[in-house]
Amino acid sequence: MNHTDPDRTERELTEALAALAQGVRAAPDAYRTARGEWLRRERRRRLVLAVLIAVVFALATLIGLWVLNQAPSEPGVIFSGLGTGPGLPGHGPGA
Amino acid sequence: MRPRHPIPVPEPPVEELTPAPPDPAESAREAGLARLFEQHYASMLRLAVLLGADDPENVVAEAYYQIYRKWRRLRDTEAAEAYLRSTVCNLTRMRIRHLQVARKHVENPPEETVVSAESAALLRDDQRVLIDALQQLPARQREALVLRHWLGLKEGEIAAAMGISSGSVKTHTARGLAALTQAMEARR
Repeated sequence: MNHTDPDRTERELTEALAALAQGVRAAPDAYRTARGEWLRRERRRRLVLAVLIAVVFALATLIGLWVLNQAPSEPGVIFSGLGTGPGLPGHGPGA
Repeated sequence: MRPRHPIPVPEPPVEELTPAPPDPAESAREAGLARLFEQHYASMLRLAVLLGADDPENVVAEAYYQIYRKWRRLRDTEAAEAYLRSTVCNLTRMRIRHLQVARKHVENPPEETVVSAESAALLRDDQRVLIDALQQLPARQREALVLRHWLGLKEGEIAAAMGISSGSVKTHTARGLAALTQAMEARR
């Protein structure tokens, strides 16, 4: 095999790529089209993000309200409201 | 009663209903992107075509959208160009892989005409054969050859664009070139 073949292929490849690239033309309104698409996608991304945050916030609020609603309504041991416990003034060991 | 001479009173300036002044960072991003678009859009489009993208406009638009989102994290314009190049390579590779997978699930897959007929019409026969052989190469070999022989990048730059080591770039380039030489030899 000839040792110059890779060199020749390299040269031909460079020429072929240059010729192919030369035929590619950008559309004149490419920037306007692409910019419109960026802005539209960015708006949609922000909207989706906002909706997601709102949904998570609403879910957290609902779960919190449900948990609070499950608390027992009868008077408990800690907050008896009678004021006669041993920790109150007048009932301690030094009294 | 003395006639009163009305003194002309200047009318208060009517405030025009203009939109709120844009964010300076947003304006800088818009201006930077417009400049980047003007400087590199055509070359990125050509790169996508040479890499074999079937919809180069969409690939390049997607690459610009990604840079639009990550604009604040960019160091400078040089970094932007390298980032764009790398993104176009990755997106084109992903697109081609997607098409290959999609073709496997179609009963009568269409012929692989990645280079548009309009662009290929400008090529001589031998060049068309070479480009066809290039499109048949594995994606990594094709990328390495296009970045080396069309953009004239150094090994380190090619490695950065492709996200591989310089040694791998050498391997891909040598293998790709050997395959092309073999294809051209078979034709001669």
